[in-house]
Amino acid sequence: MGALEEARELLREFPVVDGHNDLPWALREQVRYDLDALDIAGDRRDRLHTDLPRLRAGGVGAQYWSVYVPAEQPDPVAATLEQIDCVRRMLERYPADLAPARTAADLETARAEGRIASLMGAEGGHSIANSLGTLRALHALGVRYMTLTHNSNVDWADSATDEPRAGGLTAFGREVVGEMNRLGMLVDLSHVAATTMRDALDASAAPVIFSHSSARAVCDHPRNIPDDVLERLPANGGVAMVTFVPKFVLQAAVDWTAAADENLRAHGLHHLDTSPEAMRLHRAFEERHPRPVATVSVVADHLDHMREVAGIDHLGIGGDYDGTAFTPDGLDDVSGYPNLVAELLDRGWSRTDLAKLTWRNAVRVLGAAEDVARGLQATRGPSLATIGELDGTPGES
Amino acid sequence: MADLQDDIPRTTEVGEDDGLPDDPFRLPPGDLPAGEVPAEDVSAGDLLERARALLAGHPVADGYSGLPWALRHLPGYDLQLGEAAVDTDLPRMRAGHVGALFWSLHLPEGPAGERPVAATLEQLDLVRSVVETHPEGLRLVRTAGQVIDARNRGRIAVLLGPAHGAALDGSLAVLRVLHALGLRVLTLAGTAWAGESGLTRFGEEVVREMNRLGVLADVTGAGPATVQRALALSKTPVLCTRSAARALRPHPANLSDDLLAALGGAKGLCMVPLTAEQTGPAVPDVADHLDHVRDVAGPECVGLSGTYDSGAVHPRELADASRYPHLIAELLRRGWSETELSLLTWGNVQRVLRSADFTARAAQHRREAPTLRISDLDAP
Repeated sequence: MGALEEARELLREFPVVDGHNDLPWALREQVRYDLDALDIAGDRRDRLHTDLPRLRAGGVGAQYWSVYVPAEQPDPVAATLEQIDCVRRMLERYPADLAPARTAADLETARAEGRIASLMGAEGGHSIANSLGTLRALHALGVRYMTLTHNSNVDWADSATDEPRAGGLTAFGREVVGEMNRLGMLVDLSHVAATTMRDALDASAAPVIFSHSSARAVCDHPRNIPDDVLERLPANGGVAMVTFVPKFVLQAAVDWTAAADENLRAHGLHHLDTSPEAMRLHRAFEERHPRPVATVSVVADHLDHMREVAGIDHLGIGGDYDGTAFTPDGLDDVSGYPNLVAELLDRGWSRTDLAKLTWRNAVRVLGAAEDVARGLQATRGPSLATIGELDGTPGES
Repeated sequence: MADLQDDIPRTTEVGEDDGLPDDPFRLPPGDLPAGEVPAEDVSAGDLLERARALLAGHPVADGYSGLPWALRHLPGYDLQLGEAAVDTDLPRMRAGHVGALFWSLHLPEGPAGERPVAATLEQLDLVRSVVETHPEGLRLVRTAGQVIDARNRGRIAVLLGPAHGAALDGSLAVLRVLHALGLRVLTLAGTAWAGESGLTRFGEEVVREMNRLGVLADVTGAGPATVQRALALSKTPVLCTRSAARALRPHPANLSDDLLAALGGAKGLCMVPLTAEQTGPAVPDVADHLDHVRDVAGPECVGLSGTYDSGAVHPRELADASRYPHLIAELLRRGWSETELSLLTWGNVQRVLRSADFTARAAQHRREAPTLRISDLDAP
């Protein structure tokens, strides 16, 4: 049996739990949530990384749908609720393929039924507007992880890609982590500064996750996880879900992206600008400087390293599909996971190891968060703390 | 529901409040016209006793409580044993025979705040947590059937709403998510899509989606054009959670006779607030409003709205949630039949909830969830 065939067979038994997929945001941007206009029941590879046939082909058994909204959104809470509504409508529309899931037990049920368990993750503390009541409402709606920050700092936590301000978590930030522990919402440390990662590991009573982050020792980018943090995962019990985004995993792509961003800034534009003018400048730049292409092997290098440092029980997968412009060769879209599993089989990973990577670790960590929550709920009620009480007025140092 | 099924039902009535029971004590029509019962024939004590007996069978479904906002500003509270800092607690609700109440998610500081969605979610979270910490007395419910179920288990049913229309942030998706969290009533007033000139195109979509979901429309405080349009458009009866009779007291939230008649024609429900400002300073003033609304809109279209803990000043003798028997005694004195009273306190709210539940079940098969935002339909 070839490695790819064996990978597919393995994924039928232990499918992928993917930590991060931005399909809801893509549906918002492309068709204003009109699910008729972009029906994912068919092949949508012309416009999306994700559709149901390719999720099936990729051996995906559970997906954390990101309910991401930009921090710059006028009312990020309302926009987050719109994203949640989108996922709920997807679940209503495709009941044969997508199963609503909130618990580890729901994941196992979906696997037994052959449906794709659908969970939600909020990407950035701005989605709760400094309000623990809003955090609890998101949990009640089924959100099962919150990334503490996105690309910019929040009032109570530093991001990996912003100027240090809090130096990690503030007192209110630790309160947020404690309340997430009490609720059974996973603390997601992708996107946060290394200082925030360390503070959150200190503060969290439950295992943490990285929903889509790779290894900094393999590719030096702030979005990746430093070894000293990976080393803490065995004691914490958490899971680092490797991401595929070329500009985070491949040093040449990191350098190329930095040069392309610099090119935009040199023309007086913001480096994340996607206006026609910016895209024209990008295309011209790409003609002069061919874009380095990541491969399956690059991602496998990250996993090999993360396994060395954190151990096999602390790895997972978070592709970031439909949240990134470019993807590696062989991992072009959500149908590509078997290629990664095949590469790891070739590298000598056992079937037991791969079952942990794809399914078991992610299911275990959610169940562990539930156990911690049950314990904490027996000892304390909802936190009524406010950021003003704990940190002083937001924005003032 | 299974979590409390080992409890023994404690109410005196089981399931009889679904319909409109015959009134064996009603006097023949014409024999003793309403409002002309000589007070000296029945002592005040007898009336109060009859009021209590009646309320035991047909408790009050109270249309508006400001408790969530009031509790939010208390450092600690105990509704189970009694809480002097508010007008509503379990002993007083029991004494007042309150069987169900709508907990307002309104934001008294005004809907125009910077973050109406987060503030509404916080109110909602607080209600959930208050109900969870008083499981012996309160139960959070959504449907008419669950109200009955709560009552059969000796719990007071708490319904979520009204919330302010601004809580939608101009998005039907937000409406759906609030409904998923339990919201049952939304006030159609004071927003860009429900202003003085009536409902905009988006406003009409809001009403249609509310019908599809089973969220009741509250038009208290809305302009006449909005009230008329909501009555015409809604496929299920519309509420006024806090409106009395404009003919008796010219408060802006009170309804003119025209609107009361229109509301009655649409089988809507006018819930009369027990506030000095809207109804007057004494029990007979409130009773005058109830008489008037009953006469103009009809006995099936009048309800009660305690409006406790909302910051309002209440009429004398109606200071807190325990006082409903005094009001019912006054209505008995005025000759309200027991059927009319059972509709006023309980039956009408049940009918309106049940109708909304039914409409939603029927509509969900016919209509898909629209994803509109206000900017899609209304020019800025």
